[in-house]
Amino acid sequence: MSTSQANEQQRITKIADAFADEFLEPIAADLDRNGKYPKAIIVELAKHDLLGLAVSTFTGHIQAVQCLSHVCPAVGTILNNHAAASYAIGKWGSTAQKSLYLSALGKGEVLGALGVYERGTAIGIGQNALVGSEANGKITLTGKKSFVRNAGVADVYVVFATLPAEAGKTSINAFIVDAKAAGLSVGAAEQTMGLRGCPVAELTFKNVVLDTSARLGAPKDGVAILSETLAVYAVGEAAQTVGIGKAAAKHAAAAAKHRIQFGHPIFSLQAIQTLLADIASDTHLAWLGVQNAAQLIEDGAPFTTESAMIKNFLGRFGQRLLTDAIQVEGGMGICEKVPPHFTGTLPLARLFRDIAGTTLLELPADFPEAIIAASL
Amino acid sequence: MNIISPEQTAIQAAAKAFVAQHIIPKAVEFDKSGAFHAFLLEAAKPSKIFGMAVPRPYGGLDYSPLTQALVLEEWGYGCCGMATTLAASVLSMESVLLAGNDEQKRRFFTPMLNGKIGAFALTEPSAGSDVGGGKTTAVKTADGYTLHGSKCWITNGGIAEVFTIFAQTDPAKGVKGISAFIVERGTPGFTVGDEEDKLGLRSSNTVFLGLHDVKIPAANLLGKEGDGMKIAMQTLDLARPAIGALAVGLARRALDECVALTHERFPGKPFPGQALQFKFADMKIQIEAARQVLHHMMALREAKLPFSEESAMTKTYGTDMAMNVTTTAVRLMGAAGYTSELGKFMRDAKVMQIYEGTNQIQRLVIARAVLARPKAAAPAEKPSTEKVTAK
Repeated sequence: MSTSQANEQQRITKIADAFADEFLEPIAADLDRNGKYPKAIIVELAKHDLLGLAVSTFTGHIQAVQCLSHVCPAVGTILNNHAAASYAIGKWGSTAQKSLYLSALGKGEVLGALGVYERGTAIGIGQNALVGSEANGKITLTGKKSFVRNAGVADVYVVFATLPAEAGKTSINAFIVDAKAAGLSVGAAEQTMGLRGCPVAELTFKNVVLDTSARLGAPKDGVAILSETLAVYAVGEAAQTVGIGKAAAKHAAAAAKHRIQFGHPIFSLQAIQTLLADIASDTHLAWLGVQNAAQLIEDGAPFTTESAMIKNFLGRFGQRLLTDAIQVEGGMGICEKVPPHFTGTLPLARLFRDIAGTTLLELPADFPEAIIAASL
Repeated sequence: MNIISPEQTAIQAAAKAFVAQHIIPKAVEFDKSGAFHAFLLEAAKPSKIFGMAVPRPYGGLDYSPLTQALVLEEWGYGCCGMATTLAASVLSMESVLLAGNDEQKRRFFTPMLNGKIGAFALTEPSAGSDVGGGKTTAVKTADGYTLHGSKCWITNGGIAEVFTIFAQTDPAKGVKGISAFIVERGTPGFTVGDEEDKLGLRSSNTVFLGLHDVKIPAANLLGKEGDGMKIAMQTLDLARPAIGALAVGLARRALDECVALTHERFPGKPFPGQALQFKFADMKIQIEAARQVLHHMMALREAKLPFSEESAMTKTYGTDMAMNVTTTAVRLMGAAGYTSELGKFMRDAKVMQIYEGTNQIQRLVIARAVLARPKAAAPAEKPSTEKVTAK
């Protein structure tokens, strides 16, 4: 890392930490309870220049995501989805697409989202798959994208659809779809266990007609765009997990220092020290992996294996960070609200539900082990 | 699969039917609102299932420990929040079974046969894992005791008719100065706080209890003064496997739901890839192992052999296993899992690793037993219970 890059990261960390304290700390618990998209917060993120970092400095972006997720992971998820869509357009977009979207995405005038998942075993399989047909310079999309984050609040979606290709085969193509496109509708909000405030819903495409200029990259690039965009998203998501893990260690350690049992703070017990040490170690090692992958992304070097390794690591150990942190707090840890006769702040129950959303979610067919194995 | 008697098979089948009819259809709704599932007590009334641990002379079902575990596993399969109400009521009875006289038993058990429940109140703000740290006192008066203090995180506290409550009769003696009492709902000075808003087991009732100069007759003392710690620890030894049973049911349910979602996701395909197959196999192995630890412990108990260490293992292994299995289930189903009932199973499992003695305290109990055993010696007589003074 160069000195100027280190300085830039420090600058962003300072801004994002201050942002989290000023804007997120006061709303995080309420946002979890009411689940309402925090539009005002996103406007503030734009004002603080935190919405366009994925394109300008990816290492800076993951710093911001980590700092924000430390306090409010749901906002981290909104940012992360926006960032992955921005990254895809920044990397594969035509000059016209970039000039149309990139600056607007960076300034927060336009919010981005990814439409990747389908309910079938893999993209393009099953009756609800998003499929396209091409004729007379137009592409018509029909089908569904499920569990789309930022659904309904995004202005632009990067979606992956399956189109017929040569010799009876099919190919995955990426498209930029305006949220106002005729025939595109957003389903009812899904009830998620955590990360509430980031809307999740199904997108239904009913003969949505696009110009061929809406295609992102060449048809043959579709699979690479998909895997790389998901890998970028995974690194951002891992940065969220690190932020949550740091919060878990911080809150659990504070609680252990405060809680007296057997005549001493339970922090002095080896059983508690072991739990806290495991949380801190796994979080730190994950952060090194995240920084490494982010640096590769920023350098334009191959990074999908490194991204898959972090995803695999956090898939196995991420949820544990909160499972164990709550164990340290005991009865207080499982409370969603501060009980009468007690004092303190209790984000751990919320973070337990949030971290499941940043570590456990992958398609059954899309497991990072395959990507890692393929690299060996 | 278990090897059980025809009678147990019938009881298990009845429990399955009850759970399918009354519990499963309501579990999500009550988890969401967090309101207490009062309907359940009414629905269970005809079966007298809340009296399953009440001995026959008192009109109860008198189920054996293993039979109780079979019922609790089914209830845990349906909803651990609802099953906790049953488990905690049985827990409150165990102290009376252990130390109560005939009159006390009759008084305590009668409500259980009429759709009412009990609660066990040991934990205090200053006394969680450190049971001896309690500040609630019981001062002897001319005709009884006056209780003063508070209890927290008391399961069933807001709805129980009868309570076993622990208090210091001789604070200078520490854990040896604790005594156990029966307290009835409505006794003047006995107040119930608001329900806690919990991560999991959300519809189970958890409250703070206030004791402001609560006067009770001398006849409410269980056993002798100073017996409280012994009674509490023996009670927990008897009660922990109930949580192990709930955990087995919970994990079995998570696996079943996960299998159903997988079939939905891979229609027409007999099996998903090996990566998924192995995870399903691991879940099944863990569930079966936890069940066998539990059933073995119940067999020891029925054979009147020592079981304190095994009791701690049923709770620890069972709930850690349930945490693993439910987490794996969400992970396997991804976004579909995150937006489904599987998330509830994870949240329920998390609470179960903590209540009725954290899994850390259980490990202290187990470690003490393991390390106390002389090497290469003949199996020594183990005491049936062990005191937890942790440290």
